[in-house]
Amino acid sequence: MGTAVLVLLAAVLAAVPGASARAQDEAVLPDTAYSQSGADTCLACHDQPALAGIFRTAHARPGDPRGPFGHGGLQCEACHGPGGAHVQAKGRRLGGIVDFGVKANAPPARQNAMCLGCHAAGAARDWAAGAHAGSDIGCVQCHQMHAVEDPVRTPLLQVMVCTGCHQAQRADLDKPSRHPLREGKMSCTSCHSPHGSTAHAQLTGNSVSETCTGCHAEFRGPFLWEHQPVMEDCSVCHDAHGSVQPALLKTRTPFLCQQCHEGAGHPSVASTPQNPNGGQGSAYVLGANCLNCHSQIHGSNHPAGRALMR
Amino acid sequence: MTTNLEMQLPRRSGGALRATLAVLALVAGSAGRAADAAPAPDTSGWTCSQCPFFEGLAAQGELGLTDAKGANASFGRYTGEDRSGATLAADAHGQARNAAGNYLSFDLQRLGLPARDATLTGGHEGRFELSVRYDGQPDRVADSAVTPFSGASGGLHLPANWVSGATTGAMGTLGSSLVPVAIGTERRTLALDAHYFAGPGWTVFGTLSHQEKLGNLATSASFLTQAVQLAQPLDTVTDTLEAGVRWAGRRASVRLSYTGSWFENSDTALRFDNPYSPIVPGSLQGQLGLAPSNTLQQLAASGQVQLPWRATTLNAAASLGTLRQDAAFVPVSTLPGSATPSPGSLDGDVRLSHYALGLGSSPLPRLSVRATARFDGRDDRTAPLAVNTIVTDTFAGGTVVAPRYGQNRMHLEGGADYALLPWVRAGVGGTFQDVHYAPGQVLDHTHEVESWGRVTITPRADLSLGLKLGNGLRKISGFNAAALPSAENSQVRAFNTAPRDRDFVTLTGAWTASETLALTLESMLANDDYRNSPLGLQSEHERSTSAALTWTPSATLSANIDAAYQSQHSLQNGYSGSASPAWLLADRERYWNLGAGGRWTYARWIVALDYRYAPSSSNSDTSQGGPNESFPQNTTRLETAELGLSYRCSPAVQWHFRVAHESYRSSDWALQGVEPASVPNLLALGIQPLHDSVNLLGVSVRYQIGAGVPK
Repeated sequence: MGTAVLVLLAAVLAAVPGASARAQDEAVLPDTAYSQSGADTCLACHDQPALAGIFRTAHARPGDPRGPFGHGGLQCEACHGPGGAHVQAKGRRLGGIVDFGVKANAPPARQNAMCLGCHAAGAARDWAAGAHAGSDIGCVQCHQMHAVEDPVRTPLLQVMVCTGCHQAQRADLDKPSRHPLREGKMSCTSCHSPHGSTAHAQLTGNSVSETCTGCHAEFRGPFLWEHQPVMEDCSVCHDAHGSVQPALLKTRTPFLCQQCHEGAGHPSVASTPQNPNGGQGSAYVLGANCLNCHSQIHGSNHPAGRALMR
Repeated sequence: MTTNLEMQLPRRSGGALRATLAVLALVAGSAGRAADAAPAPDTSGWTCSQCPFFEGLAAQGELGLTDAKGANASFGRYTGEDRSGATLAADAHGQARNAAGNYLSFDLQRLGLPARDATLTGGHEGRFELSVRYDGQPDRVADSAVTPFSGASGGLHLPANWVSGATTGAMGTLGSSLVPVAIGTERRTLALDAHYFAGPGWTVFGTLSHQEKLGNLATSASFLTQAVQLAQPLDTVTDTLEAGVRWAGRRASVRLSYTGSWFENSDTALRFDNPYSPIVPGSLQGQLGLAPSNTLQQLAASGQVQLPWRATTLNAAASLGTLRQDAAFVPVSTLPGSATPSPGSLDGDVRLSHYALGLGSSPLPRLSVRATARFDGRDDRTAPLAVNTIVTDTFAGGTVVAPRYGQNRMHLEGGADYALLPWVRAGVGGTFQDVHYAPGQVLDHTHEVESWGRVTITPRADLSLGLKLGNGLRKISGFNAAALPSAENSQVRAFNTAPRDRDFVTLTGAWTASETLALTLESMLANDDYRNSPLGLQSEHERSTSAALTWTPSATLSANIDAAYQSQHSLQNGYSGSASPAWLLADRERYWNLGAGGRWTYARWIVALDYRYAPSSSNSDTSQGGPNESFPQNTTRLETAELGLSYRCSPAVQWHFRVAHESYRSSDWALQGVEPASVPNLLALGIQPLHDSVNLLGVSVRYQIGAGVPK
């Protein structure tokens, strides 16, 4: 392998008129020096098939001037930094090269700076304000730039990537009541912006309610008769990541309702004869309990819907 | 409702808008300078002649059959695979590109199931991109429901021979009238997405989507104290358009967009026959008001600029929206002579506003800081309407003014982390949240302050531990009991607006023991104290711990184990009337999740194994001056196991075999045994706790064209 590298390197150098002669006299290149031939220089050594996957991605479209391989682009060195010193040292030192990964020499902030050089004004425009930046998370902890298909851009695999760190949410995926993430019909980015956001919890919408009603538009209202927490924040009653109770509720009804409402005239207390232990069942407790009557819990547009019963 | 809130909003909004425009002006001004400063090497000789750019076609298709034995709504909730028998397993994906820079890709998944989706994307490099997407999303809720009602959106009717009764037991023909009804919906979305790259840094974009939602929802209604559960037909459409333009320079960007969303409900009301003996003469039918059609329109602007010092980035966002609803009212009752209120519709008008500023900076080499200031306003400008109500199509309820709700929420958030040593980072931060409610609500405002400190230790590159501790305190303004509905106890405090003292701790760890072994850990504890509330939630304790171990001894072998435990314990009290002592409830939920899996590649074979076990339990114990009484324990238990076997018989052909089993069991005292006639005053749908035991057998063949498309 080493011999092959040397032969290839020699071939590259020989391709530049007078290069081998000049090399005798040249001082050590600074780390800011770029390679002589861009990607062709890099590929002379870095010829692993796994790295070539990038040539089938949006990062390597020669017709796209916005990308690193577009006309005038810095190719590999757009992301990895100037490689002149690295080439001159025959790969024995990184020089100006930025390596990526958890165990890389470059700290996450330096790695990220390479990505943000292009994306800070686009997809990652809110990166600096986000929690991932604050936790020193590297872009490549989630993204695989050389893969033909970056797993984090596929809904089903994205969930696995995110829950690699967010483990409590990994467990939530199997709860009895949940969103369809396990089936790949939604992904974490359906609601959250992992690249940062100025919204609460890095949500894609301006608020919790706006995010939820992006899909559940029927609860947007405004209704004639409204339920105050519905208009304020869906997460007052629901846990979007999953619940052991039906309908993503934070705790089961009727007790959830009774965290805010004292049931005057509603003998829904467990230790009354109407409870399941006490003989005859009660519509206050069984079935949908409170919702057996107050079914329009998200709001009602019926003129007689004051108690959300119509 | 007019008032300080309305008078303040324009002033606040205007100030924030001016600030936003100033930031955007700064963005635009500094961007040009930043772009000029960027040095670049001479790349005229960088021909990339060795670069293996993709040209041609590469695609992969999979075709086969999957046989599911025992499948039902529980198993097929989000896939639609809800019946026993064979289904088509068909997927395909691929990409094509030519030398001129035109490209096309497609991704077709689960074509044999209602959860099928398809995406077709094409474009010309650097010029434009178009994408068409179809997404089917079933939501099967229950297949155990039965009902005596028939009909559709026009109304639900009882059989001609129906015998009414004061109780379900007295409904003589109930048993013979019941027919099964599927509870669940289908959501189908067709979307068109377009991007036009107009010039250096400029992109014009647009997304148009049409979404239909059809099926049956489980709902209910009552006639005074007699309730009936119904299968409510659903037929809604939501059309959404988002269009805008964005400019991205090297150090700054601006994005302007318009979003319009039109929700249309074909059924604004559901009329249904009264199965009970009418409490008042003529109360033969009831009518529910359903979600009214509504429209949301928003204009949004956001910008970002990297300032030329201390790695500082400034973000700004602003959004203004209107939410309108003007669906015609139905009559106040089905009783003869009932009128429609005047005016005949709400003319609902809600103004939504959002302004945010974000800052990230490293003022010192070892110090990083972040801060966000955010304002969210919901200003309900709907004219309050007085309605002369009829309660549950049964008796007069008097004239009541419908209250309007709104709030202004100011949120400040910040944090700083400092590298004390190369292997120790310490941070502090906090949030301040101030919510001002519109006049007429039980609270004027709440203030919540949360502070936290954290330390992250990285003694080695392969080991990191993090600890975060914090406290949050929510205070409220005076409580306006007069704003409560007349039936509510003035002692009760809604838990989202109650005083609260919160402590929380999180612990995280990651250890890459070797090139092949990695362990991660996450643990959280949070205690909420609501004991300043006279009635309502008193305390809540949450715990969660998760751990995962992955072992990858070689490129051909990997294994993983993960485990999680979560618990939630709450105490609340309530009041049943002056003659009874207060009641107490202790509610405890526990949830476990254990999983293991592995993958082994040997010669032409790939073997994959996955197993998961996820049980939960819920216990509710109550007391009312006497000994505790317990509700029956509610439980769920999910168990899945799957073996996948792949054999590559040629570079282009691969066979795939799949054997899987899923078992799900649940118990729920609110549903178990509650048949249509079980409860005298509840004509139920008879939905029972979900369960399934499904065996899956699948075989398929994958065929590959061109160079592989590894997924």
